[in-house]
Amino acid sequence: MTNDDLIAKLKTIVAPYIQDEEAFKNLSEDTDFVSDLKINSANLVDIILDIEDEFDIRLENEDMEKMLDVKSAMEIVNTKLSA
Amino acid sequence: MVGNDIVDIAKAKKESNWQRPRFLDKLFTSKEQQIIHRSDNPFIMVWRLWSMKEAAYKLYTQINPSRFYNPKRFECEIKEKGSVVNFKNFKCYVETKITSDFIMSEASLKPSKLKSEVIQLKSRNIKSSSLFLKEKLTNSILENFGIEKDKLTLKKDNYGIPIVEFNTNKLYVSLTHHGNYGAFVIA
Repeated sequence: MTNDDLIAKLKTIVAPYIQDEEAFKNLSEDTDFVSDLKINSANLVDIILDIEDEFDIRLENEDMEKMLDVKSAMEIVNTKLSA
Repeated sequence: MVGNDIVDIAKAKKESNWQRPRFLDKLFTSKEQQIIHRSDNPFIMVWRLWSMKEAAYKLYTQINPSRFYNPKRFECEIKEKGSVVNFKNFKCYVETKITSDFIMSEASLKPSKLKSEVIQLKSRNIKSSSLFLKEKLTNSILENFGIEKDKLTLKKDNYGIPIVEFNTNKLYVSLTHHGNYGAFVIA
């Protein structure tokens, strides 16, 4: 999967939870889930579960620790998929 | 030093599903999951524990500037007087207020009464809600400390942790909003 494909998939996953349309439109690797997209921290767990379902992977507690921005989510998914 | 967190019950009902597979296991220890399942109202218990973890996280990061997502490791013990949250070697005391509309928790290093002021937010726009809440906090400080508005700054550090400064003083504060409710507290 290319980085663009991965970003597109992540964008679809986070869409239901975003509270800042402008930041969502401009979503990139540098986008932060909380400070940019204003996603409620209670919904971060939903994003994690959605990522698990979409890519058929399981995230451990240590993986979740860093799940605060698009870049970290990409790294975690890539690592899990290549394992 | 202080951390607080509010959950709008109607919003939590609408926008989160605590019964979805693996949800509880991602956020709660097995002990906490037992408490939830044994509770008369598991839904309320889920969000009560969640708000305790969030309040404790905010206090922890105020003391140890950092940012991470590890709610499961903030382990809650609910006690009649002075519930406790532990994270590694860190321990704090958490008080929680539950109404039919919201659940609000406040964490501090010593057992103390709730100091947070809860505000009903009219706007659905998250940015204007956030501004409104900040204004309420600022006004409260101006009144309590008798200072002029232009002497006071409320800012966030690189980790998103708020701090109030005036003259050479620093005040620890915590702000939280969810749905139609917000709260602020001054340490």
